[in-house]
Amino acid sequence: MTTYIIKRLIQGVIVLLAVSFICFLIFRSSGDPAISMAGQYATFQEIEEVRKVFGLDKPFYIQYARFITNAIKGNFGNSFVNKVPVLPLILERLPATVELAVSAIFIAFVLGVGLGVLVSLKPYALRNRFIMAGSLVNISMPTFLTGILLIMLFGVYLNILPPFGRGETVIVGFWRTGFLTLSGVTHLILPAFTLGMYQLAVLLRLTRAGMREVLTEDYIKTAWSKGLSPMKVIFKHALRNALIPVVTMTGLQFGELIAFSFVTELIFQWPGSGNLLLTSIYEQDQPVIVTYIMLAALIILSINILVDILYAILNPKIRYD
Amino acid sequence: MKKVSFIVLTAMFLVFLIGFTGQTMAAESSIVVVVDSPPRMMNPHGSDADSNLSVMANFFDGLMQRKGSDGTLEPALALRYEHPDLLTWTFYLRKGVTFHNGNSFTAEDVKFSFERLSDPKVSEFINTGKNISSIDVIDEYTVSITTKDPTPWFANNMHQVYMMDKESTESRTVGEVQQVPIGTGAYKFLEWVKGSYLKMVANEEYWEGAPPIKNVELRPITEASTRFAALVSGKAEIVSGVPVELYEKIVQNPKLDVISMPARRSIFLSLGNKPEDPWSDIRVRKAMYMAINEDEIIEKVMRGHAFPASQIPDPPTIGYNEGIKRLPYDPEMSKKLLKEAGYENGFEITLTGPNDRYIQDEQIAEAVVRYLAKVGIKATLDVKPKAIFFPEVFEGKLDFYLIGWFDGTFDMGRTFFKLIHTRDKEKGFGSLNGANFSNLDVDSLLQATASIVNQDARKAVLQYINKLATAENIACIPLHYQEDIYAIQKGKGIKFQPRPDRWIVFKEISK
Repeated sequence: MTTYIIKRLIQGVIVLLAVSFICFLIFRSSGDPAISMAGQYATFQEIEEVRKVFGLDKPFYIQYARFITNAIKGNFGNSFVNKVPVLPLILERLPATVELAVSAIFIAFVLGVGLGVLVSLKPYALRNRFIMAGSLVNISMPTFLTGILLIMLFGVYLNILPPFGRGETVIVGFWRTGFLTLSGVTHLILPAFTLGMYQLAVLLRLTRAGMREVLTEDYIKTAWSKGLSPMKVIFKHALRNALIPVVTMTGLQFGELIAFSFVTELIFQWPGSGNLLLTSIYEQDQPVIVTYIMLAALIILSINILVDILYAILNPKIRYD
Repeated sequence: MKKVSFIVLTAMFLVFLIGFTGQTMAAESSIVVVVDSPPRMMNPHGSDADSNLSVMANFFDGLMQRKGSDGTLEPALALRYEHPDLLTWTFYLRKGVTFHNGNSFTAEDVKFSFERLSDPKVSEFINTGKNISSIDVIDEYTVSITTKDPTPWFANNMHQVYMMDKESTESRTVGEVQQVPIGTGAYKFLEWVKGSYLKMVANEEYWEGAPPIKNVELRPITEASTRFAALVSGKAEIVSGVPVELYEKIVQNPKLDVISMPARRSIFLSLGNKPEDPWSDIRVRKAMYMAINEDEIIEKVMRGHAFPASQIPDPPTIGYNEGIKRLPYDPEMSKKLLKEAGYENGFEITLTGPNDRYIQDEQIAEAVVRYLAKVGIKATLDVKPKAIFFPEVFEGKLDFYLIGWFDGTFDMGRTFFKLIHTRDKEKGFGSLNGANFSNLDVDSLLQATASIVNQDARKAVLQYINKLATAENIACIPLHYQEDIYAIQKGKGIKFQPRPDRWIVFKEISK
């Protein structure tokens, strides 16, 4: 196990390096940030001067090497647009994204597993067929459309849920949270549903498949014949075993929810880091973009490693060595 | 089953939450304004984007300010100015003005603010800053600024150059100055949660008198349909950047008022004239102009929300020439001209343009390509993000491209040097003349304007240059002026007059 974890960590570092290199390569060849930084009326010489001040006149490999050596020290440089250090800029926005992703995965897990169990018990009942069809719609509908439809329905026509923003927030230490106010929680509902919708459908289908398989096993039949209550058979005996792949999937998806929440954040004007990423792409703020992508890669990598370890704990049969 | 009761409980909890979501009624003199792009920073010199200058105009003042629907230049922190010779500008400052931290505003602050402009680490006004050779503090309320080159539009730009407090800007870190503004403006900074909102409160000691609206909440919403939702659900009182696609829906809504005004920005197609290119022939240039059905572009692509343009400047700008008329849309004439020029079978040209900068930019370019095809010109469409497009303009690599422009100084002198003067790296002219248009008469006349200060004389010469470049040499094919559309909540007594520069200055709003 230990050698496995060490191996994974080394792999992780290599992946991070590769990600940073590719990001750097892409953004160095997509436009010249010095032009917008010098202002609309700058002359050629003034642009050249700006390039020098920010070290953009140096060859690519020197810029990259400098970025990496600084990054190892935890300094990801300054934003081209805000001129303040990049890492705090992103971290300032991270709580909003994490809270959104946590809420989304919570909704997806509770409803996905709940409905999955429900559907697996009577797969051919009309209601359950509707649920399955609905989950297909969820999987195939783009987040963008889901979000706008929810806003229009609940935010505009029914006018019962706030259509955008994060509501009132409270600062606890360094963490700005929306969980502690009513306004914060109501503002979470629509974006969290939008973000978690796809995951909900995936978890539902996974739970259903797992449950249907497990329910045909002999030990479940034994359990029924022992006269155990349905609750005990379904939740204690069947669900527990069907849940292993579901938990793995949930873990893996959580990282993705954090890293790819930007569409939802855009539609709901959610002030998270995904929203910052989009603004930065629009304004060509390369240091923010590169750091964000590296951070996202780091989060996904760590979650993958954690899930692997958890998987081994949940299922002692699994050995990595 | 227990699970069912769990679902019921969850549903009840949701209903309970929903019951409490009715927003608290806003206090009488507060307002929520939604804009389409977020402020970048609270450093007034750090961004020359209008979206940022607009926000900064509430915390800071310039030596001058622009007012009203035609953007008249009026005194602000300077009571008046003198321009004794070509290079000198003397400003006489308003007395008794204080910054939000209590420091009084003096000539030293003016000197400090202008010096700060040329530091690329904190300023995007490098061009203005580097053009200053010396700043002399004559007494506590008089400053004399000397420029390196004659800059007739210097004072015209003073509404964009905000005055900062020397003491608090030097004593705070750069990061802090980027986050918390301390100015002399009509509003004091309260809180900025990036991506969420910016809150400000009226400055009761404002030198122009306290503003009528006491609390302002500025909310950026980048996605157009969400802006629409904010407006229709009553969560915002004024929304700028109403998308043309949703215009009809908003007009039909009885709770909303729509205010629109012609924007200053014109959209046009810049065209080079390198001798080896077919389009250096004036007949070909005219043919291209006449092949484009601008009325249809306005009707179909802009959905009626644009005004035909015959030139780059808008009417209030010095250099706007009433005498320049659009060439008529006439594909037959266009074909005839092409035949005369020897291009009966057309030629190939690439039309470049941004796809994320102007209203319907990509669609306009697509339409132009189709019109040109009708007269036999094979235009290739090459649209790309502005981040890639603008550097190409700077590098002068293009033949024919779509771009938009307006000049914040209301004086075409500065803009023409950038857009139509022959490219000259040394002197810094023509840096945005991306298709290498060149006309020596235009160049020499333009250089002569640099030393013309008299406004009437400037007007006459710039009008002539405009005619020479646009009408006689077709340096560009003008298309239209955009339209700025705002929506406000009806029946709340909100008085709001849009400005030509699209800034939202809260001291001008009342309710």
